[in-house]
Amino acid sequence: MARVLIIEDDRVTADEIGAELQRYGLDTEWCGDGTSGLERARGGDYDAITLDRMLPGMDGLTLVTRLREFGVQTPVLMISALSDADERVRGLRAGGDDYLTKPFNPEEMAARIEVLLRRNTHRPMKLRVEDLELDLMDRQARRDGEVLDLLPTEFKLLEFLMRHTGRVLTRTMIFEAVWGYHFDPGTNVIEVHIGRLRRKLDPPGREQLIHTVRGVGYVLERR
Amino acid sequence: MNVASLSRISTVRLLLVYGVLFVLWSVLLIGWVQYDTMRYLSGVVDEILRQRAHYLTHIDRARLPDAVAQTAALDLRGVMAYGLFDAQGRKISGNLAEPPADVPSDGVVRFLPGGMHMEGSSEPIRARGVAVKMNTGEVLVLARATSVIDAVRTIIHRSLVWGLSLTLIPGLIGGIWLARGPLRRIRELENAAQPIRRGDLHRRLPVSARRDELDMLASIVNSMLEEIERLMSEVKGVCDSIAHDLRTPLTRLRTQLHRMHREAGADSAHGPLVEQAIMDVDALLDRFRALLRISELEDMHRRAGFTNVDLVATLDHVREIYAPLAEDKHIAFAFEIGPEIAPVHGDPHLLLEAMSNIVDNAIKFTPSNGRIQIRLGNDVHTAGAPAGVRIDVIDSGPGIRTSERGAVLQRFYRGTCSSKDVSGSGLGLSIVAAIVKLHGFRLEIVDNPAGGAWLALLCRRE
Repeated sequence: MARVLIIEDDRVTADEIGAELQRYGLDTEWCGDGTSGLERARGGDYDAITLDRMLPGMDGLTLVTRLREFGVQTPVLMISALSDADERVRGLRAGGDDYLTKPFNPEEMAARIEVLLRRNTHRPMKLRVEDLELDLMDRQARRDGEVLDLLPTEFKLLEFLMRHTGRVLTRTMIFEAVWGYHFDPGTNVIEVHIGRLRRKLDPPGREQLIHTVRGVGYVLERR
Repeated sequence: MNVASLSRISTVRLLLVYGVLFVLWSVLLIGWVQYDTMRYLSGVVDEILRQRAHYLTHIDRARLPDAVAQTAALDLRGVMAYGLFDAQGRKISGNLAEPPADVPSDGVVRFLPGGMHMEGSSEPIRARGVAVKMNTGEVLVLARATSVIDAVRTIIHRSLVWGLSLTLIPGLIGGIWLARGPLRRIRELENAAQPIRRGDLHRRLPVSARRDELDMLASIVNSMLEEIERLMSEVKGVCDSIAHDLRTPLTRLRTQLHRMHREAGADSAHGPLVEQAIMDVDALLDRFRALLRISELEDMHRRAGFTNVDLVATLDHVREIYAPLAEDKHIAFAFEIGPEIAPVHGDPHLLLEAMSNIVDNAIKFTPSNGRIQIRLGNDVHTAGAPAGVRIDVIDSGPGIRTSERGAVLQRFYRGTCSSKDVSGSGLGLSIVAAIVKLHGFRLEIVDNPAGGAWLALLCRRE
């Protein structure tokens, strides 16, 4: 079972993070300040870490920098009340792997941790879910052997969904991964793009692979 | 430095008022001196004329023609004229060529309106004179030229003109010279006030070491600015901390609702209710996020992330993101990209965010089968040189009323035209406004004769 270290000074937030991650079958441990957080992160052999940006003892940025200096490559999800684009860049430069702004949706947090946990596994050049196949070499998608006519954005969207098959991906995560921007794209941008991909992927009569998780996001899997 | 701006300077104004008063007073004074001098000199002339007339009228009639001729001969300066004329006006004796016209022979000295005509002189001479009717019916006329009086008058006039010009001209030059200093200072103050007017409340007006009245005024304005800045940051601080403080309980509320929903199951009696509650909390959180985003943007003063942005590429991304949305609503989504678009200095991510918000709004408010036009072109100034780049977003929606134009850029404002089925926090354009302000660009709401909304983003430094 994967173990996640939660470094967060607010007990209530830490409990929420823990409860949500446990729901996904992850083992969690909590640590309330920066100095001991660094010690535990160095020695604990965790699979992922959620790290608050503002901490007593040592702030999150210093902590992740030091952690990387020690050669520890555990994926880190930074959680911060500071959502400034520069803050995000600073967090990621210091060695964080992903950045989430408070207030966060617990499902989104869990989804991001799941993505981080799977990041270490090798990246195949061919992705496959049931009869859906994505060839990243010749940039082609096939369903049941039939080539799908996808636009570049749709291809990127499908790749992101297929790389995280079975994981719920939030709209923000999709927007960040496919378009590379960190803002709220408004109303129903992702919904419309998913809808178009869905029409090409799951024509009537075929088993549907992209599912909507109400209030959270989307998941690609066979149900 | 033009006349209009000069005349508004208090030094110049004071000088002008003093100048006018000085001219009036001088004219009055010299006028009185002239009047008195003229009166005195005329009196002297009149007395001489009266005495001579008295003498001539009282000598023997037989000697009179000779006496007249002799007296005339005695006057070497040629200012006196005498004449004895018979009842028909024919000359009997003297150096006057003819009796003066329109002068009654009553022995009263007066100014001769037609002047005096001396023998050997073709032109009449300005003069005062007296005509006396003798017992014999003859008329004795005595006249004296007023040339001395006239010369004195000219001297007085000349002294007035010289006096005034020697005082007023250096005074005016001095005034203009004195006014140049304050004018230059005011221009400096004006330049310093420009960024403050645009909302940069950290700036202050310059105060010199002179501590003059302009410095006093600048100090007063500066202390006012300090107070305004403090109040603004307090208001903003209150807004931000409310948003901040409410985020955590809202997040918890959402988590708990989520847990309830999961444990009770979607099929339970409360399932749909809880689901609706989660959606409402999400909408609230979205609003808080947007509010805090605006606050962050307003706090950004550094422009470290600025680089040259290719707006053609930015609009390509916008098209890629939003074209499917427009297509789903059957909205014609037309892009017109002009030639040779210069790059603008800015943050590419923020500019895309601004454009996304504008286009998202346009799609939201344009009804099905409508049209959205996005134009990118060089903004040509009057001089003909490209002053920057402008992006126009024109839709065929209900448009923005003139009265609402200022308000739509404020936080939480949603136009009265927005229908209930249009979702949104009402913060989209406020985010755009904050980004535009950070860049020093301008967002204009243009009058659209066709009726829809027309937003223009002018990418040039103000």
